Amino acid sequence: MKTTKVLAIESSCDETAIALLSVDEQGKNVELVHNLVSSQIPIHQKYGGVVPEVAARSHVPETVSLLTQAIGEKGMDSFDIIAVTQGPGLATALRVGIEAGRVLAMLSGKPIIGVNHLEGHLASAWLDEKAREHWEYPMLALIVSGGHTELVLMKAPGKYKIVGQTRDDAAGEAFDKSAKLMGLPYPGGPQISKLALEGDDKAFALPRPMLKDKTLDMSFSGLKTAVRLAWLSVADEEGAARETAKKNLSASVQRAIVDVLIFKTMKAAKKYKAKAVLLVGGVSANVLLREELGAAIEKQLPGARYFPSDKRYITDNAAMIAAAGYWRHQLGESHNWKTMDAKPEWNV
Amino acid sequence: MKQEFTIVTLEDWKLLAKDIAKLLKPGHIFALKGDLGAGKTTFVQALAEVMGSKSMPKSPTFSLMRTYGVKTASGIKRLIHVDAYRIETDEDFRILDLDEELAAGDAVLALEWPERVEGWIKKHEKHVLVFSIVQKGETRLATLEQA
Repeated sequence: MKTTKVLAIESSCDETAIALLSVDEQGKNVELVHNLVSSQIPIHQKYGGVVPEVAARSHVPETVSLLTQAIGEKGMDSFDIIAVTQGPGLATALRVGIEAGRVLAMLSGKPIIGVNHLEGHLASAWLDEKAREHWEYPMLALIVSGGHTELVLMKAPGKYKIVGQTRDDAAGEAFDKSAKLMGLPYPGGPQISKLALEGDDKAFALPRPMLKDKTLDMSFSGLKTAVRLAWLSVADEEGAARETAKKNLSASVQRAIVDVLIFKTMKAAKKYKAKAVLLVGGVSANVLLREELGAAIEKQLPGARYFPSDKRYITDNAAMIAAAGYWRHQLGESHNWKTMDAKPEWNV
Repeated sequence: MKQEFTIVTLEDWKLLAKDIAKLLKPGHIFALKGDLGAGKTTFVQALAEVMGSKSMPKSPTFSLMRTYGVKTASGIKRLIHVDAYRIETDEDFRILDLDEELAAGDAVLALEWPERVEGWIKKHEKHVLVFSIVQKGETRLATLEQA
């Protein structure tokens, strides 16, 4: 059977990632041949034993090393199309992936597709077989991570609209900065979730901004001040009492963030009569959010499906870029490698 | 010269942003100091609005850098919003290509957490305005001075 093999490159921010995805003719059977992320590879392996002084975001050596692993000896024969993240992101970081993609397109003569990183996050849910089987528009997606908090209406393949978003800090950032204010180690999100398990989420009254607002927008910036004041109010506590306060504040912070996310997502899903709700991005790993959004859909939108993306594809990765690249290829798109450049401020 | 301001409401941020926008010229670096939650991003939002940006700045902590189209009488066309909070090495900062961005002559840089990139600030100090925000309960005290 004829398959389409997509080679994908992602380098929009901190991570460098390369994936090779094989999709059958019907678009039903999907095989992820390679899914490589640089931060998961020991540094001495990347640089052949010599560890140079490099920036956290120098994507060049990572791209070369991961590409070599992904296409191996078969080289240009190992893929049919190239997908590369074109934006949004850091211009200089994006350009590393784009240049690699352009060179591959020039040498192989195969089509190249510039992918929007946010569409990549949407496509991460599609990598799950159960989601693919019941993929039906319109859908409503919550993209939630350290840098993003967006509600995206997916009307049809390739037709998206941001219907709500944070006006200041992303939800993942609210987790990390709340943790920082409480003196917890980085990354703070998982720390807060862990402490929250043993805490009382009603112990501190924290704001849930914009719940009464008519729009589908959110705001998490004010939470920092509330958390700082709450933490100050228990500054005199010591020993076990301090640990309890830490757990309680963690539970209260997590509850405040999750409440807002679920409320706005459900409001949007109902408004646009979504047939499915997608939960994608790094913060979708949060167990409370993942479970309670599912429960809210079951209760408030019976009949609608729930597609939280698999935990393997929630942080920045190239598998999702490959999936989105495949979508665009199915829509008949391809780009001219000669004129392709980064789009740092690109929206979906 | 050091100027001091007291900010109580969101409206106060906007009034202050109007005054400060008049001081800014292409190539300037507007360095914002203050603890988490002090209001650095909130102030940049007010600044972008009075400078004519159509979209409202969001926190650049994760993305590191975002650029907004603006239009001022002094010829500023781009407001570059950078957060150095996550910057660990000079090399990490160099990747943002800010020297080149500022050399273009049409941009102003609003930089949060300038303390993280002191070497770079020192090199450009002639063009740096330091804006510090201190939280006093619900009130904010801000100061503006040359680096």
